[in-house]
Amino acid sequence: MPLDEERGPDEAELLAAYARGDVAAARILTAQLAPRVYAQAYRMLGDTAEAEDVAQEAMMRLWRVAPDWRAGEAKVSTWLYRVAANLCTDRLRRRRRAVPGLDAVPEPADPAPSAEAGLQAAARTDALSRALAALPERQRLAVVLRHIEGLANPEIAQIMEIGVEAVESLTARGKRALRAALAPQRQALGFEDDAI
Amino acid sequence: MNFEDHKGGTGMDDLDMLLARARDVDVPTGLMGRVLEDALAAQPVPRAAPVSLWRRLGEALGGWQGLGGLALATCAGFWIGIAPPAYLPETAQSLLGASTAQAEYAGAFGWTLEELE
Repeated sequence: MPLDEERGPDEAELLAAYARGDVAAARILTAQLAPRVYAQAYRMLGDTAEAEDVAQEAMMRLWRVAPDWRAGEAKVSTWLYRVAANLCTDRLRRRRRAVPGLDAVPEPADPAPSAEAGLQAAARTDALSRALAALPERQRLAVVLRHIEGLANPEIAQIMEIGVEAVESLTARGKRALRAALAPQRQALGFEDDAI
Repeated sequence: MNFEDHKGGTGMDDLDMLLARARDVDVPTGLMGRVLEDALAAQPVPRAAPVSLWRRLGEALGGWQGLGGLALATCAGFWIGIAPPAYLPETAQSLLGASTAQAEYAGAFGWTLEELE
């Protein structure tokens, strides 16, 4: 495996090494990709256990596809984000069928307004999670991938299998909706006094 | 007032900052171990390269050392057959207790070619 001293092997090279039986490649890929796919699933589903299941399943699909992976056709992480997004979509649909209106993050425990910065940060995170959960599914995915995972619009377009302009539209509408949802809580979340 | 009103020197508003801070998600400790277990369980076993018939034959004859010796012995035997050393007939006589003689060609049916003419 050719190693670039500057950046190390890329994901496709690591996947090829994994398919050849390289255990170290399995460890590196797990360390690099599993946290990202878990974070994406958690932001989409708002549930730790379900996000774990999605991350594990998406990674399992990656391991299975490794021997047949064609380098250069798609970026490994892009493929993985797409698999995770589809798995999340399936779960959200099942949720809607099971209990209408359950597609939301559970109410957090009493945020207990406090001078403690940690508690305030937790309250802000909870508020964001709830606002995200209230977004339509496609807007949520676009916002998560663009503004939380930090992906570029063309990559998000590949993951969501839509055009770049559609991604821009979804993220713009998603952010507008988030602002609208969070604005009434500005004071409660401490944004009035804090120039974060 | 909304979240867009508070752009600071970073060019990020409150919402951008909130989203950026949301990047840090604690990964459950057991997850990484389970994913790695799956990876190792699903990992293809490296296949040994197919061994050719010639390679197996060579190994049966003792590898390259054995084949080298065999080739040397073959060459030596061939050379002795073409140009036997002068002392070899005497050596054969002493070893076998018989004298070597050049036999005349006899026809297969008991008569010589001269008789046919």
